[in-house]
Amino acid sequence: MLDRDGGLLRGTLDVLILKALSWGPRHGYAVAEWIKVITDGDVLVEEGPLYTALHRLEKNGWLTAEWGYSENNRKAKYYQLSRSGRQELREEMSSWERYARAIGKALAAASPLTA
Amino acid sequence: MRRVFRLPFGRAGIAREVDDELAFHLEMRTQRLIAAGMTPDAAKLEALRQFGDVDTVRQDCVTMDNERERKMSRANTLGELQQDFVYALRTLRRNAGFTAIIVGALALGIGANTAIFSLIDAVVVRGLPVKDAGRLVAIGDPQRTSSFSQGSPRTDLISAPLYRDIRDHSRSFSGVLASGRPARLDVRIDEKNADAEHPRARYVSGNYFAVLGVPAFAGRVFDGSEDRSAGASPVAVISYAYWTRRFHNDRSAIGRTVVVNDTRITIVGVTPQSFTGEIVGASNDVWLPLSMHDVLHPHQRVLDDRSSSWLLLLGRLTPDATLAQAQQELTPFITRTIVANAPGSAGQSFLADKPKMYVSDGARGFSRVRATFQAPLFTLMIGVVLLLCIICANVANLLLARAIARGKEMAVRLALGADRGRLVRQLLTESVVLAMAGAATGLLLAWWGSHALLVLASGGSAIPLDLSLDLRVMAFTLVVSFFAVVLFGLAPAVRASRVELASTMRAGAQSVAGSALGNRGQRAPLGKLLIAGQVALSVVLLVGAAMLVRSLRNVQSVDVGLDRDHLLILGVDVNARGYSGARLSNLAHTLRDRIAVIPGVAAVAFSENGIFSGTESATTIEVPGFVARTPNDTSIAFDQVSPDYVRGIGARLIQGRDLATSDEGHPSRVAVVNQSLAQFYFPGENAVGKYLHVQDSVAIQIVGVIADTRDHQGTLQSEPSRRAYFSYVHADTVIGSPGSLRVEIRANGDPSALVQQVRATVKSIDPTLPIDGVDPLTKLMQQSIQEERLVAKLASAFGVLALVLASIGLYGVMTYAITRRTGEIGLRVALGAQQLDVVRMVLFDALRLVGIGMAVGLPLALASTRLLRTQLHGVGAVDPASIGAAMVVLMASAVVAVLLPAMRASKVSPIVALRAE
Repeated sequence: MLDRDGGLLRGTLDVLILKALSWGPRHGYAVAEWIKVITDGDVLVEEGPLYTALHRLEKNGWLTAEWGYSENNRKAKYYQLSRSGRQELREEMSSWERYARAIGKALAAASPLTA
Repeated sequence: MRRVFRLPFGRAGIAREVDDELAFHLEMRTQRLIAAGMTPDAAKLEALRQFGDVDTVRQDCVTMDNERERKMSRANTLGELQQDFVYALRTLRRNAGFTAIIVGALALGIGANTAIFSLIDAVVVRGLPVKDAGRLVAIGDPQRTSSFSQGSPRTDLISAPLYRDIRDHSRSFSGVLASGRPARLDVRIDEKNADAEHPRARYVSGNYFAVLGVPAFAGRVFDGSEDRSAGASPVAVISYAYWTRRFHNDRSAIGRTVVVNDTRITIVGVTPQSFTGEIVGASNDVWLPLSMHDVLHPHQRVLDDRSSSWLLLLGRLTPDATLAQAQQELTPFITRTIVANAPGSAGQSFLADKPKMYVSDGARGFSRVRATFQAPLFTLMIGVVLLLCIICANVANLLLARAIARGKEMAVRLALGADRGRLVRQLLTESVVLAMAGAATGLLLAWWGSHALLVLASGGSAIPLDLSLDLRVMAFTLVVSFFAVVLFGLAPAVRASRVELASTMRAGAQSVAGSALGNRGQRAPLGKLLIAGQVALSVVLLVGAAMLVRSLRNVQSVDVGLDRDHLLILGVDVNARGYSGARLSNLAHTLRDRIAVIPGVAAVAFSENGIFSGTESATTIEVPGFVARTPNDTSIAFDQVSPDYVRGIGARLIQGRDLATSDEGHPSRVAVVNQSLAQFYFPGENAVGKYLHVQDSVAIQIVGVIADTRDHQGTLQSEPSRRAYFSYVHADTVIGSPGSLRVEIRANGDPSALVQQVRATVKSIDPTLPIDGVDPLTKLMQQSIQEERLVAKLASAFGVLALVLASIGLYGVMTYAITRRTGEIGLRVALGAQQLDVVRMVLFDALRLVGIGMAVGLPLALASTRLLRTQLHGVGAVDPASIGAAMVVLMASAVVAVLLPAMRASKVSPIVALRAE
């Protein structure tokens, strides 16, 4: 899980962002907090790449952004899932489940298979 | 979450947003850490550490946002464009009448431009439809496509032996072809058919089709073997058009035998449809091998005669040769060959004349119409461009008026947040749609117009020209339409979008109108500027047209020195029946005597070249005591004429006597000369009794001097040349025996009444003698100034059109201005102004506009009519009469256009007017 650019980490981060926004609009800091808490700080070692990912997802059309006021009354950029972002999240989730099941099964294997 | 509106604008905006977002994050993190017990400084550092590389992240975010922005604006523009287009179509459809008027006007302008341009394209620009036309070189004067010259060697036409020398010795060409027009060709497709037809035919060398790279469509073309021996190839190739016309595309035509000048000729092939010959504006029907000439014209043997110049050549450059190299090679070669083969002292006099060499680019083939119509076409092009400008100004005015009517719509859209650029774009889209519709209609109009023009220009029978709308013409139309859009669309669009929101919303369309047509503070409202511009352009067109018309008048009314209303000219083809020498003299005398007894004939004369016949003879003379300054000084034109010729044509004898019957038959010893000749060689003296020598001949005495006659193509427009008249029947070989015969018949009354009897008389003397024509002089004169008449006619039409358009524009603008001033006028009337005062006020307003237009247009006209110089005869570059006429006509039309609205204004009732306010 320590692949820094692209690959595993990027895919993981993207899907976590989509998940974080699935309950409604949030600003970047809130997304970062959610991910840190939910993964015990394992995924997001540094917070910077989160923003790169947010902007990339926005460019892809999965997120829409809007400026609003935060809880402490400061201007903040809020992200929200778009229709295609929601779709993307569903697909990612199911493929992650398949993947996790497969890896889990493999790691739980008790004996070498013979041909 | 409360929302804030913030639209990122440009790159700076994007970077700022990213900075704000990251700053918010770092601040939140710092506060969280402080809350967890850190000192503010340590918290700040820890927040940065947890974030990682701020600069890189920032850079990445900005990059991605920029990409997103670009993607969105692209999609936006496309969407807007589509939206504009649909909206424009809907708006235009809703105002169908308005749209039709504008499209019609634009179609007229664009169509006229395209029509003239497609003619210019076909006549002047386009290359021959043959393989790699750019590698062809023309040898000979490209405009002398159907000339025949007998006498001294020349360079503008090539004799058959000289052609063979060039073909065999030039190293610049991979092949050189020759082509020349036959004297007369009687073709009988059906042997039993007595009536011969006269297709357009040319004699060409055997390599003609190979050099041009034209294959046969059916059968075969000449393969070069035709040139090997004279008279051995009785074959012909015919054009696709002739094949269609005469053989209905029947394949059995190939191999068929037809009779050409009593010789059987076999048709061996048909050329492709696209190929009509190497002459632009004269498509060919039949090609005959050059080597067959002397068989088909036994009375006119030219194949081995260096004094018969009648061919034009096209050479195909070898891959490594250039036009310049060909010129360098051919110029000395042609001179050397001519001098080496010239008899007697002819070579020396050839060199002394310093002949011009004709070796030029041959990509566009040969053409007589090109030389004739090039200048008129360019004149007309300027005319139609001006016309289009006027039309654009008119359309701009219409659009402006409508933009004013739509002021409220614009104001609403602006208030709803549309930006002005978008509004301009949308209005321009409407203009583009209008222009495209105009262009499409214009293309149709142009196709029809250019063909109609051709028919007009050629006086009934169309000059065959390829007028298909090729890419070049299409591109031209597109460019013209584009400029039209900019001209008529941009200004109204910009003006319309510049509405003042507050006042418009409050006062409705009235004040929008004010802002577009000029507030009290605005000194030059657009609508009025456009009118002044139209007037200025109309001045240019009208002055030009007036000058051309006046020039035509001059040409038509010039003193021709002949009895112009009573002469009938008969031409017979004596060569076709082999008349020459004594037989020809006998024929001439018999014709004269028999025609002279027809009732209504006052006098009959005959001559070799005659009047408006298209042929002319020239020679060099020596005059004792006269020293020539230029080679040209010794050259004169001459004709060989019957006794009583001067009386016969109704010329004015100034001194001495006419030629008499007693002058016939001897070596020519006497001559009548014209005034130009007498004054040139014997200034201030009596020329009668003086002598001149034709080349080395015995002295010829001048017995009479006549007033100059203008009796040849082109002489109506220019100064007459020096001319001498020798006896038709003589025993002299220096002048050369006459080779043709024309009879001039002077009638008591209308000459055209005699045509039938004259024809019958010719038939009764020799039924087989072909008649070239029996035409009254006035008809021949009109034909010789066809281009002038056409150009003057079209230029006048453009001028009138411009005048009407400018008047309509003026009427529209003044009517509008008066409606706006109803209140003011009402007030004036209430305060005691008389009707006349109101009319005067309105008229003065309008005429000031016209005056400004004229003041601008006059210098423009003076500058541009300079371009007409070469086409004007007897009219100076600055012609006060034309300028005056144009001004008066314009002023008068302006008064008429304005009078109606002015009268209406004067009848304004003060009560109504003040209530309207």
